[in-house]
Amino acid sequence: MGKLEGKVACITGGTRSIGRAMADAFLAEGAKVVVNGRDEQKGQQCLAEMDAGDDAAFYAGDASTQDAVEGLVDFTIDRYGQLDICCLNSGGVQMTAPVAEMTDEEWKLEIDWNLNHVFWGMRRALQHMIPRESGRIMVTSSVEGKLGKPGIPGYAATKHAVNGLVKAAAQEVGTLGITVNSILPGLIETDIVRETGPDSAVAMGLDGYDSLIEMFAQEAAIKRPNTVEEVAAVAVLLASDAARNITGCMFPVDGGTMPY
Amino acid sequence: MGELDGRVAAITGGTRGIGRACAEAFLAEGAQVVVNGRSEEKGAQALAEMDAGDRAHFIAGDMKQREDCEALVDGTVEHYGRIDVLVNNAGGSTGAAPVAEMTDEAMQDALVWNFWHTFWCTRKALGHMIPQQWGRIINISSVEGKMGKPAVSHYVAAKHAINGLTKSCAVEVGTLGITVNALCPGAIETDVMRSEGPGAAEAMGLTYQGLLDVFAQEAAIKRLNEVEDVGIVAALLASDAGAGITGSLISIDGGTSPY
Repeated sequence: MGKLEGKVACITGGTRSIGRAMADAFLAEGAKVVVNGRDEQKGQQCLAEMDAGDDAAFYAGDASTQDAVEGLVDFTIDRYGQLDICCLNSGGVQMTAPVAEMTDEEWKLEIDWNLNHVFWGMRRALQHMIPRESGRIMVTSSVEGKLGKPGIPGYAATKHAVNGLVKAAAQEVGTLGITVNSILPGLIETDIVRETGPDSAVAMGLDGYDSLIEMFAQEAAIKRPNTVEEVAAVAVLLASDAARNITGCMFPVDGGTMPY
Repeated sequence: MGELDGRVAAITGGTRGIGRACAEAFLAEGAQVVVNGRSEEKGAQALAEMDAGDRAHFIAGDMKQREDCEALVDGTVEHYGRIDVLVNNAGGSTGAAPVAEMTDEAMQDALVWNFWHTFWCTRKALGHMIPQQWGRIINISSVEGKMGKPAVSHYVAAKHAINGLTKSCAVEVGTLGITVNALCPGAIETDVMRSEGPGAAEAMGLTYQGLLDVFAQEAAIKRLNEVEDVGIVAALLASDAGAGITGSLISIDGGTSPY
């Protein structure tokens, strides 16, 4: 008997990395899961790898757009009849730069991808969860939601912003059986980090991708990056019925990086 | 197959309340557990209620005494052959009063009961965990380890101190397979709360029920937390999956603390 039997989850950016680890962990605990991603092919590959039959579905869409995020929530409810767990996990940067050199296009992309996507998804999910007086919303924030590194101002700003959004929403629905939490991972070598890390390293004044990974690792007490499985274990906990009294929490999974 | 099969845990003040909930959560995941308390009778009762046979053991001791703290850790190793998880859970405070009227005795007692006991047990446990390159230290702090209420400056200071100890220790042993974290629960109606809450409430100009209402209203959930809330997070931290979480001050407070 899994901890999430009978529950339905949707996950933005769920075909690989953190979102995928959440999906795998939720499935293992008995939930039904809809994963989202931009790429239909990666989506089908993900479903094939998860091998969960009717318990898993894929919804194609760009999580930096309102239509896709709201579409994911609606698709999930349409497909499985309800939405219990909404994981707003997608996010990242494309061509980040120090503030003085940041382009409007990059800034707007990061706002849409990291912040607006969370708002759009949370609003849509709450409209379904509030009448049912039950739900779990969790946002994949970041250690940068409490800190701030040079060269990634948009990422730091938007991750701070989602933490504020989480706290306010947690207060709004605190008596309605709905919890709203952030998970704050330290650096994890996800696909996004591998793709954009080299450019981010340049923006941060480092001499390459390996230096970026090493810098984050050295800031942590564990002197290594985190893993997607470490985040997924926390996600399962927060998604479970037993976690009904944990809300508005910025849950760190950062190997001892953040000072607070 | 539990997440804590083969693990051995010791819990200070584990016969009732939060510590007991941690013990039960660990037992449910397959661990062997030593609970501690001052009263032999309460210890025997806890063992009977947990009904875990050889997987649970009681060691009597007063966590305000260094010798008893160290004996709990050593006694755990003696009984089960190792110690993997230490929960520093005992704590509380008496003699609530504003700082201007706080006695040395009340301040000292709170520091010993909460902070020194955590230090003594942690130091002793690390002596076993560092050589085995595996360990989990879980300190039961409080929402008052991040915030501050009037008339309980001793409790607040002690819990803040535990959080500082947690962060420092986590960095020291971060590469040795040992994590050190603090859990910061909101108010829970434990035995200690029932016995010491009325005095604290009076010092704040409240009734006991009024104090509980203040805590509940500060939370997003508008109710108190429960001991099981802490047990589930402790079980996660104690597991292999908790390896990447250290130096954290985790709020389990229904949305009370701002950070």
